[in-house]
Amino acid sequence: MTVPAIEITKLDKTFGSGRKKNQALTDLSLTIAQGEVFGFLGPNGAGKSTTIKLLLRFLKPDRGSLRILGKTVGQQEFRHRVGYLSEFPVFYDHLSARETLLLSGRLSGMTRLALNQRIPMLLERMNLAEAVDRRVGGFSKGMKQRLGMANALVHDPEVLIFDEPMSGLDPVGRHQIKSLIAELKQEGKTIFFSSHILSDIEALCDRIGIIHKGVLLYSGGLRDFLGTGVSLEEQFVLVIEEADHASAA
Amino acid sequence: MQALRNIWFLALATCTEGVRHKALWAIVCLAVLLTMANLGVTTLYSWDLGKVSVEFGLSAVAFTGLLLVFFLGMKILADDLERSRIFMLLSRPVSIWHYLTGKFLGLAMILLLATTILGLSAALSMQYVLWQYPAYVPPNFSWLSYAMALACQWLSLVVVLAVSVLCFSFASQPFIALLLAVSSYLVGQNMELLRRVVVENAHAGALTSQENLVLALSWIFPNLSLFDKKYVAAYGMAFSGQEFALLCLYGISYSALLIYLATLLFKRKELA
Repeated sequence: MTVPAIEITKLDKTFGSGRKKNQALTDLSLTIAQGEVFGFLGPNGAGKSTTIKLLLRFLKPDRGSLRILGKTVGQQEFRHRVGYLSEFPVFYDHLSARETLLLSGRLSGMTRLALNQRIPMLLERMNLAEAVDRRVGGFSKGMKQRLGMANALVHDPEVLIFDEPMSGLDPVGRHQIKSLIAELKQEGKTIFFSSHILSDIEALCDRIGIIHKGVLLYSGGLRDFLGTGVSLEEQFVLVIEEADHASAA
Repeated sequence: MQALRNIWFLALATCTEGVRHKALWAIVCLAVLLTMANLGVTTLYSWDLGKVSVEFGLSAVAFTGLLLVFFLGMKILADDLERSRIFMLLSRPVSIWHYLTGKFLGLAMILLLATTILGLSAALSMQYVLWQYPAYVPPNFSWLSYAMALACQWLSLVVVLAVSVLCFSFASQPFIALLLAVSSYLVGQNMELLRRVVVENAHAGALTSQENLVLALSWIFPNLSLFDKKYVAAYGMAFSGQEFALLCLYGISYSALLIYLATLLFKRKELA
């Protein structure tokens, strides 16, 4: 039996203390198989980014465990097998696109020779070939997002974690990123991405998870969630409203 | 081995980013102008022109170095956190130790570059003054002493940089880190004087009989006055290789200890 790509067990996370205490995640458990495209859905402030930051050990959990490809987060090294794209990718403004990818690749343990072959190919794939030696500070939002995608893929990882990869992009930019995720899916990569753009989730995902106020409301197949004749948007809003009513009661 | 490589790649990226930053070159241009002002300032004095010239040149280097540490260095560190750039690095197999050491070394390299440029610029203006007024050249003046004083100046800046990295590792806001670093610098500059006043003077006011406290503080804060060799270089006084080696050892070990402490503190920080 293959090891799950991502395994989250009984995860709790709180920010602040006393009156300012904010329970960001409560008893979150999720399993994502290898080769799966998993969409993590939820309204703003639901706990999507917190979950991703916990997966990458930027934050420490109060309780629970996280495993990526069988490696326990915080105890065993796994990051050379994971590619990460943040919602707003930020790079060193005065480094060029090539230098940025070179830095990331070298930090992931790749040789310069391998990177010299891979970087032009990746930048070509992201339509950034002409900007290879331009400083990143002058890039548009869309270009930075595509460079962020190249940065996540530079070391050819098995698991990809994207935090709102299409956020703030124009329709062309969104289409490019969506096509790329579809290609990566064809290549058999495991993709875990958060979004609140439901049409993107519908087009790309095998399974979804819905989180609201730090509580996982649903985790399973997209088709099972939709039922017949109901759009993802309608079903999503229904589930969120039901959760709000239940917590108010 | 990969740890050392990671540190080197981070140091190189930090140095490249800093070197291409407009702020660096604005500060360096200002400093070059300042060292050139040496020519004008020195002639305002009617004696000890050589001494004034050397002290002025080294002071310009020290002043510029501090501007670089407190503004460019702290800005590069703060931007990593405030703009979430740190996530790009820590999503790789990079530990906090690699990250902070790489940043520190990259910034130290920028300081070395700036000190070299400014030291050469100051040396040129000094050479002109010493050539114009040979009667005022200190009898034992040597360029080697000047170079060693310059190296001590750089070491002092490296120690201040390590203090800044430590402050950055635990302060909640970059501005607070800057305030703490500047305060530590001021204490470090005057600690030796305070220690001597308290230990050697029986009438030290409120600090009389507080020798142990002052002694303890003098071990905690960096003793920056030890690195100040302007006077020695200006008068061409004896400056042994052994003293220089001990200063290097002190500066490097103190900085290494601070970076180690910074790593421990930074690990406790949550990168929300």
